[in-house]
Amino acid sequence: MNARFPQQNNVVTQSLAQIGSCGLFLLTLLGAIPRSLRYIRETVRQVWFLGAMSLTIIMVCGLFVGMVLMLQLYHVLSIFGGTSASGMVVALSVYRELGPVVTALLFAGRAGTSITAEIGLMRATDQIDAMEMMAVDPIAYVATPRFLAGLIAMPLLCCVFCAMAIFGGHLVGVTWLGIDNGTFWSNMTAVVDVRTDIVNGVLFKSLAFGAVVSLIAVFQGFTTPPTSEGVAYATTRTVVASSIAILALDFVLTAFLM
Amino acid sequence: MSQQRSSYAVGTGLFIVLGFAALAYLATQTSSVANVHQGDSYTVDTQFTNIGQLKERAPVKIAGVRVGQVQSIELSPGHDIADVKLSIDKRYDHIPMDSVATIFTSGLLGDQYVGINYGTSKQWVAADGTLTRTKSTEPLEEMLGKFFGAGGVTDNIGGTYTVTANFTNVGTLSPGAPVKMAGVAIGSVQSVHADPVKLNAKVVMAIDKRFNQIPDDSAAAVFTSGLIGTQYVAIQPGGSPDPLKNGDEMILTQSAMQLEDLIGKFLVNGSSSDNKNAGNGSK
Repeated sequence: MNARFPQQNNVVTQSLAQIGSCGLFLLTLLGAIPRSLRYIRETVRQVWFLGAMSLTIIMVCGLFVGMVLMLQLYHVLSIFGGTSASGMVVALSVYRELGPVVTALLFAGRAGTSITAEIGLMRATDQIDAMEMMAVDPIAYVATPRFLAGLIAMPLLCCVFCAMAIFGGHLVGVTWLGIDNGTFWSNMTAVVDVRTDIVNGVLFKSLAFGAVVSLIAVFQGFTTPPTSEGVAYATTRTVVASSIAILALDFVLTAFLM
Repeated sequence: MSQQRSSYAVGTGLFIVLGFAALAYLATQTSSVANVHQGDSYTVDTQFTNIGQLKERAPVKIAGVRVGQVQSIELSPGHDIADVKLSIDKRYDHIPMDSVATIFTSGLLGDQYVGINYGTSKQWVAADGTLTRTKSTEPLEEMLGKFFGAGGVTDNIGGTYTVTANFTNVGTLSPGAPVKMAGVAIGSVQSVHADPVKLNAKVVMAIDKRFNQIPDDSAAAVFTSGLIGTQYVAIQPGGSPDPLKNGDEMILTQSAMQLEDLIGKFLVNGSSSDNKNAGNGSK
């Protein structure tokens, strides 16, 4: 495999090799999309397992993020008498940063690990090999549906997260802390722009994060040593690599989009 | 097996519907789209000498109420004037033809918008009509320049001639300060150096070549703009028939007023009794 570069066992070259293989794996996944359209039911099933089954954690966390953000902002802004801007700040910070990033981290923790564990176990119990024997392309049947399901589910989960965060912010701010309801909404609607904040922030960023998390999860599942120890190690590596990739990509996207 | 599959499909469908409902809620209830009811609109042309920070889609307001938005901003071909097209809601079609369109700023440093103040004409601006009366923005630099009295002098490199003048005290005069005649800037100070031989300050001024009829017995004085503004050189024309040429020196000069000298004069004159005692004491 490494014909031109000598095999070295240090962290840097190993990480670079992983990144390279992951990139090539992405091309394989994309190339298998036409073939995976035969198994569209599998994609639908995966959207249910990855997206709908994550709804509980996403909604609860969204609610608490919105509540905590409003609480912190209120106490700082009241020093300057600027509490009327708290709704606006909650909305902007959730749409632009917290919504996509926190949703992606939770998605990596819940759905990413389940993808990696499932695929790793399929390899360990020779199910992948059995598929190849039956002339079923394992990438098209197992990998690409999960990848596409992650792409579809992430933006939807992010929208739900943001809506719950706004609701939580409203609950704490207006009902508990006594900010005026009309001011809360009018300041927010005056500043939030559909193109910059919702399309660029919520939809585009969460789509990019969904692609990265799904790719890393599927890649780790397919390339681990097919042992129980290997599967456990691959699951933790999915979470670690996804988290680093999400936050680094967040910086790059913010620099380019905003 | 098929029952399980259909339940997945239904569940997935519900999940997708929920996601889109959340997106629709975010987009309509929490963003600025909620404020805009884009009905039918008509276009009105305007021209401005300076649009400042005005952007496309900036609001157009009458009496502070949003009635439309800026449709397009383009440079008028062949002139240094901006063509701004405003798209105004058809409900507001009774705008008099002599109304004034002004570029305002929301607050002190906010976004800019176009405000329309009604005129008194009985005729209304039609679709694709033009509002001819406009007021452009005031760039920050020109405003500050007017306040401090400096600025407003363009560098005319190559189009100036140099004249020197010696002052006993130039105060805070520095290179770049304007040279004015009758209050109007005609050049700038090129350099300020201390003359080691004459023990005073030599000021070299660059004056625009258009002003080549300044008599060579004119006086140069260092004045202050306003009470605490920057200092500049004022040229007070004399009566000689010969004009100043490149490299000439202005003989008559008046130095800058020093705050310490003024205070000293005031203290000395105000306490004349002390002076007498001091004089007696030296005997």
